[in-house]
Amino acid sequence: MKKISALLMMVLLAATLLTGCSNTTATDTDNTPSDTAEKLSGVVKTGGSTSVEKVMTALIYQFQEDNKDVTINYELNGSGDGIKNTISGQYEIGHSSRELKTDGTEDGLDATAYAIDGIAIVINTGNDVQDLTQKQLKDIYTGAITNWKEVGGNDVAITVITREPGSGTRDAFAEIIGLEKGGSDIISSASVADNTGAIQTQVSSNPNAIGYMSYSDVDDSKVNTVKYEGVEISEATLKDGTYTLKREFFLLTKTGATLSPAAQAFVDFVMSKAGQDIVADNKLLRIK
Amino acid sequence: MEQMGLTTGRNKSKSTVERIMNIIFLICGLAAVICVICMTVYMIISGWPAIQKIGVFEFLFGQVWDPENSEFGIAPMILSSIIATFSAILVALPLGILVAVFLSKLIPGRLSSILRTLIDLLAGIPSVVYGLLGAILIVPLIFELQTSLGLPTSGCLLSAIIILIIMILPTIISVSETAIRAVPQQYEDASLALGSTKLQSIFRATVPAAKSGIVAGMVLGVGRAIGEAMAVIMVAGNAAIMPEFLKPARLLTASIPIEWAYSSGLHREALYGIGLVLFIFIMVINIVLNMVLKKAVN
Repeated sequence: MKKISALLMMVLLAATLLTGCSNTTATDTDNTPSDTAEKLSGVVKTGGSTSVEKVMTALIYQFQEDNKDVTINYELNGSGDGIKNTISGQYEIGHSSRELKTDGTEDGLDATAYAIDGIAIVINTGNDVQDLTQKQLKDIYTGAITNWKEVGGNDVAITVITREPGSGTRDAFAEIIGLEKGGSDIISSASVADNTGAIQTQVSSNPNAIGYMSYSDVDDSKVNTVKYEGVEISEATLKDGTYTLKREFFLLTKTGATLSPAAQAFVDFVMSKAGQDIVADNKLLRIK
Repeated sequence: MEQMGLTTGRNKSKSTVERIMNIIFLICGLAAVICVICMTVYMIISGWPAIQKIGVFEFLFGQVWDPENSEFGIAPMILSSIIATFSAILVALPLGILVAVFLSKLIPGRLSSILRTLIDLLAGIPSVVYGLLGAILIVPLIFELQTSLGLPTSGCLLSAIIILIIMILPTIISVSETAIRAVPQQYEDASLALGSTKLQSIFRATVPAAKSGIVAGMVLGVGRAIGEAMAVIMVAGNAAIMPEFLKPARLLTASIPIEWAYSSGLHREALYGIGLVLFIFIMVINIVLNMVLKKAVN
C-alpha cells in the first residue's frame, strides 16, 4: 500500500514538474519585445541569493512586462556568488540575503535593502508544540535540549535540521537567537539541507524535525510555524516589530559605478511603490 | 576478383584517405588525453592552495568542518565515504556474484536475457531517481528504527549505504556475468566428469576462473559508490560528523554541491581541495582497475 501511494506520488510529482515547464515556456513567449514603445532596452545581468528567488522573479516579471525591450537575467547561485560576481563586474546587480562581510573581502559594494523577510521556525504538522522561546531554540540548536518533551511536546528525540554553513538564512538565524558567528555552535549532528525547499520537504516528511526558513516560502499545508517568544509569525507581527526573527534582502551594486539605464530603472522600480507592493504580495515586509 | 581490381586501381587515393582518417583519429584520441591532463592540472591548481593554507595534516585528519570559523577538517567525510563504500561492496559483491551465476548458469537463456535487460535498465536509471526512491521508501523505514532506539529521526549513513548497494549491484552483476560466461565450458564439464555436482562445479571451477573479471566489477562498483553525490545527499542527512550508521553522515562528494552556492574565500577554495582529494581517490581506483584488467588479459 505504501509503495502504491509512493508510486502515485511520483506520478503526481512528475505531472507537476511538467506543468511547471509549460508555465515557464508561456512566460518566455510573453516576453517577446514589442516594437511599438520606444523605451529602455538591453540585457541586465544579475544573480545571487536563492532565498530571494520568489520575490525577485515576480519583480523581474513585472519589470519586463512594463519594459518589453529589457531582459533581466537572474542566475540563482547563492549570495556568495552574487557578491563575488558583482565585485568582479560579471553582474551589474547582485542579490544577497545576508549583509556584506566587514572583514575586507567584500568591500566596494553598495547594499540597498528592499525587503524584510521573517525567518519562520517550522515543525512537522503532526507536532503540537506551539511556542518556543529564544533560549529554548538556542538550546535545541546547540544540543542542550534533545527531546521534544522538554519543550512541551511528545517524548521523542528532536531532529535538528539546519542550513549549510555560509547560507544567509543560517547566518541571520544564528545571530538573532544568539549562537556563535555563522552558527558554529549548532550541534554537529544536525542534518544539513542546502536550500529553503529542502528544509520544508524534510520537516514535512519527518515527524520530529525542526527547521528554520524564509517566511515567504512557508507552505502552511506542509509545515507548522512555531511562535517565537510567544509571537506568531505573520505580516502584521513582522510589520509592528513584535516578531524579531527577521533579516533583510539586498540589491548589490558596485560603489561609485554608473549603472546602465535599464539597470538603474530596475533598482528604482524595486524601491518604487509598485515594486514594494510586489514585495508585500510575497509575504515580505516592505522597506518603504 | 572484381573487389581486388578495385583496390589496386584506387590504391593511391585510398592511402590518402587513410592518412587523413589517421589524422582525424589521432586528433580524437588526443582530445580525450588533453581533457584528462587539463582536468588534472586544473584540479591541482585550484585545490592545492587551500590544502596548503589549511595544512595537509589539518585538512585530511581534522575532525571539525566549520568553514565559518576556518576549521576545515575533512576526516569525517573521508571516513564516511570509505565506510559507506566498503559496507555497500560487502553486501553487493556476494549478492551480485550469486545473481551473475544465476543468470549465466542456472536459468534458461531466454529468461536470462529478459532479466539481463532489466538489470541493464537498472544501471541506466539516473541517480537522482534512486535518491527520490530512497527518500520516499527507505528513509521512513529507517525513521521507525531510529524512533524505536530513541534516536532523532533523520537521514543517515545506513540509508546511504542501502541506496549505494542498489546502485552498484547492476554494475557488479553485469561485469561478473560477462566474466563467468567467458570461462570455457570445459572447466565445468571437466569438474562434472570428476563427479562434482553442478553447483560445486560452478563455485569451485567456473567462478574462481572468472575471478579477475569479478574483481574488475567490484572496482567499478567502488568507483561508482565513492563518486556518487546526488542520491546520497537526498538520504544521508549530511552532517559532517564521524560516521555512525544511524546518524546523519556527510560523504566526501556531498560538501561541494551543498555548500558551493554560499561559499566564498577560503571556504570555496577548500571545496576545490575536497574535489582534489576525491579526484585522487578516483584516480587510484582507476589505476587499480587497470592493473586488475591487465592481469586478467595475461
